[in-house]
Amino acid sequence: MAIRELKVCLLGDTGVGKSSIVCRFVQDHFDHNISPTIGASFMTKTVPCGNELHKFLIWDTAGQERFHSLAPMYYRGSAAAVIVYDITKQDSFHTLKKWVKELKEHGPENIVMAIAGNKCDLSDIREVPLKDAKEYAESIGALVVETSAKNAINIEELFQGISRRIPPLDPHENGNSGAIKLGKAGTQASRRCC
Amino acid sequence: MAWNPSKPTVVRHDSGCSEEEDVKICPRDSGYDSLSNRLSVLDRLLHTHPIWLQLGLSEEEVAEVLQPQPPGLFLVHKSTKMQKKVLSLRLPQECGTSLKEFAIKESAYTFSLEGSGISFADLFRLIAFYCISRKIRDVLPFTLKLPYAISTAKTEAKLEELAQLGLNFWSSPADTKPPNSPAPHSPLSSDGVCPASLRQLCLINGVHSIKTRTPSELECSQTNGALCFINPLFLKVHSQDLSGGLKRPSTRTPNANGTERPRSPPPRPPPPAINSLHTSPRLSGTETQTSVPETVNHNKHGNVALPGTKPTPIPPPRLKKQASFLEAEGGAKTLTGGRPGAGAAGSAGGAPPAAAPGDCTRAPPPGVESRPPRHGGRQRLSDLSISTSSSDSLEYDRSMPLFGYEADTNSSLDDYEGESDQETMAPPVKSKKKRSSSFVLPKLVKSQLQKVSGVFSSFMTPEKRMVRRIAELSRDKCTYFGCLVQDYVSFLQENRDCHVSSTDLLQTIRQFMTQVKNYLSQSSELDPPIESLIPEDQIDVVLEKAMHKCILKPLKGHVEAMLKDFHVADGSWKQLKDNLQLVRQRNPQELGVFAPTPDFVDVEKIKVKFMTMQKMYSPEKKVMLLLRVCKLIYTVMENNSGRMYGADDFLPVLTYVIAQCDMLELDTEVEYMMELLDPSLLHGEGGYYLTSAYGALSLIKNFQEEQAARLLSSETRDTLRQWHKRRTANRTIPSVDDFQNYLRVAFQEVGSGCTGKTLLVRPYVTTEDVCQICAEKFKVQDPEEYSLFLFVDETWQQLAEDTYPQKIKAELHSRPQPHIFHFVYKRVKSDSYGVIFQNEDEDLTTS
Repeated sequence: MAIRELKVCLLGDTGVGKSSIVCRFVQDHFDHNISPTIGASFMTKTVPCGNELHKFLIWDTAGQERFHSLAPMYYRGSAAAVIVYDITKQDSFHTLKKWVKELKEHGPENIVMAIAGNKCDLSDIREVPLKDAKEYAESIGALVVETSAKNAINIEELFQGISRRIPPLDPHENGNSGAIKLGKAGTQASRRCC
Repeated sequence: MAWNPSKPTVVRHDSGCSEEEDVKICPRDSGYDSLSNRLSVLDRLLHTHPIWLQLGLSEEEVAEVLQPQPPGLFLVHKSTKMQKKVLSLRLPQECGTSLKEFAIKESAYTFSLEGSGISFADLFRLIAFYCISRKIRDVLPFTLKLPYAISTAKTEAKLEELAQLGLNFWSSPADTKPPNSPAPHSPLSSDGVCPASLRQLCLINGVHSIKTRTPSELECSQTNGALCFINPLFLKVHSQDLSGGLKRPSTRTPNANGTERPRSPPPRPPPPAINSLHTSPRLSGTETQTSVPETVNHNKHGNVALPGTKPTPIPPPRLKKQASFLEAEGGAKTLTGGRPGAGAAGSAGGAPPAAAPGDCTRAPPPGVESRPPRHGGRQRLSDLSISTSSSDSLEYDRSMPLFGYEADTNSSLDDYEGESDQETMAPPVKSKKKRSSSFVLPKLVKSQLQKVSGVFSSFMTPEKRMVRRIAELSRDKCTYFGCLVQDYVSFLQENRDCHVSSTDLLQTIRQFMTQVKNYLSQSSELDPPIESLIPEDQIDVVLEKAMHKCILKPLKGHVEAMLKDFHVADGSWKQLKDNLQLVRQRNPQELGVFAPTPDFVDVEKIKVKFMTMQKMYSPEKKVMLLLRVCKLIYTVMENNSGRMYGADDFLPVLTYVIAQCDMLELDTEVEYMMELLDPSLLHGEGGYYLTSAYGALSLIKNFQEEQAARLLSSETRDTLRQWHKRRTANRTIPSVDDFQNYLRVAFQEVGSGCTGKTLLVRPYVTTEDVCQICAEKFKVQDPEEYSLFLFVDETWQQLAEDTYPQKIKAELHSRPQPHIFHFVYKRVKSDSYGVIFQNEDEDLTTS
């Protein structure tokens, strides 16, 4: 089976749980000895999709405003972006909209956008109604799902959704699609999938 | 007892494909008189791979070729069904089917037959082993057989001649049949024994034990790899204990005539052996006497003769077809010294390009006949094969899967320059290197290795060997590849002002490397083809390394100086310097740091790593060091808190640490890595942390502005955009035209000899334009008197104004028979030489 490497960047305000989502995704069904390799800001996970294997290379970004200007380096070349907000913080949803706008303007063409409303375990103090998020996502053609990294809700589904939206072997989207030549890191990790 | 580490000689004998053994075995193998014949099976295979290595052939075609052949003959091709290389073997009639395929398994480092426990460093060794080994047939029903013409050829020239036939060999009269067929070679098959029962016989013979036993001292941690490696060196180390250390090399007299048998007479060729089984005890008996194959000796001499290697009491080198390859390892300097001797085999090699750099592409003086075009290169290339084959390779290299690491450190003696710290380069986390380092080396072996490290500098992985071979090819201006590389390198060094920015400079270098890699993977200039030495999934990795070695290594100093110049000129050097001071005065919280930070000691450790990084020319090795720095930072962050930190926390800490290190050079380091790293690695972990380091430096550089406006300077944005462009640019497959942007033109002036210059000439630049450039570059007063000529096949051709020199060059390079040619800018004489190339000449001007 061909392994396709897919770069996925994580965007969103600081504190919304970007890295928790990834840690949950990567570490469930995963050998703890293998990942993360250096640190939690870059992780990989391979999942089967059709007759391909998708190896997600997940690039976390720093959410603080002062690092905003660096974001283009991180989302450059991404096949997908996971934009995270905190359902208990209206502000974070606002920031999310700014990210979407920036991606539309400067991001890679055909980037798959997935919106994750994190901390859905705290829905009793929710500030952002699910309906708002759904409507917004629909208007921009993005995936949307409410997640809880803490309780492992919808994390798997989020990435499966991305996988499904990745066009099968589109030569334009990802240069090293079919190649098995992986980076130094995590090569051993790639075989084990959920 | 076939495989017993304590009595290794038996196996060594079987596995060895060295010259001497071959001499013994060959006659038995074929029944032909080949005593005087000094060519090993491996030599024969290396020379004739165009015949038996037919990767492009379909199953049907293979069947067609092998059908008329006697049992035991074989082809290696690529099966479309299995997507693997397969060994197709002609079976005896009795077996029902006429062909059997054996899949070849390629792991990261080795080649082996599917189902077999024996791995080899490359395809040639694999085939050679199964050609020679009579007892250990392993998964094969019988010993492989070379075509009669190949196994009886007396000289390399003859082999070369056969090889020229390529696939046609099989249908040509050259493929003669032995006088007394059926061959005694495959006795069992001629008995009509079928594979299954043959296997039985093998088992009876106890041979299968080779599959289950590894040398006791070695612990191979590969889980799914082959169980053992045939490893003559290892065995030899043991036998040395018995026979007294290293004295053998020195007791051997170099026999200059190459005929005299060393030490003991070779065992008599046994009778055409129906009973190879019975001969085995005898083989093991004779083995100890002949344990050092002669060619190894040559190599040792060759090495010892190299300047800079440790003196050992070994007679001076015998200047005969010895390892030009080895000598090349010592770098260009040694090469220059060593080559003439190495090339002395043919007068054609008398003026090897390395000895007179640039020689080939400069204009030959009118009187000089062009050398027999291919002969020079050919001869030399075949010398290469010989050196790899008969000696160092089989004896030593093959053991590399086991000794990889140790050998790296040893052989890196001559690989010094900034790359000496192989062992510190173990990446921070698991990687392939870790695997090889987990082989436990017996103390004895280690010390032995150290003692002889100078002698064994030929001791390399196939990967390393390939990299070196490519590096050597890159210095050979008689090859297209060598031309490309040398022209490019000299162009960059001569023309400091042709790049507008540091990024521009690095990006063109990266582009060039990618294109050359692409060229190499398709070119036939690598002989033997890279697929036969390197498992397929490793080819790109190996080529990338080779690019670093042949392009970045010579350019490193130049590039660094250029980068610094650019940065000083555009003010970013000062900007970074000033801001670095500012940032260092801030406390971590002001930088957004809310995680534990490295203390003074850790920062010092990190600085050391960064300083090591500066010495590397390979962007990948630099990145490895960067990853180690990041790992260290993470360890500090996490150890003290026990939680997982994402980029929100890491990036501020990284920024803080980089500021604490106070190294302005990091800026150029990061730029170097970002632009030159293999683009396919940019999405991975290395790419991520590199991006973070770049980001951190950008933040520092723009600290003041950030304080004021919290905006990224437009400059950084520009860089990002350019960077993006590069990524997209790299996706398009480079065309051949791309690398032909350089043209070496010689300027010939009556009475004042020749000067050469590398010019930037794009594919559709006409001769007229090139003449103009030449007039400027060579400062010609009366340009109308001059024109551009092509000197090829000993004739001069004046190029018409509307021809495209690059197209002509491409056409020449694409001819099946390589030609030596030169573009010469010189006076037009009244008695104009030869024809004028007209643009209508379809062959030459259309692409």
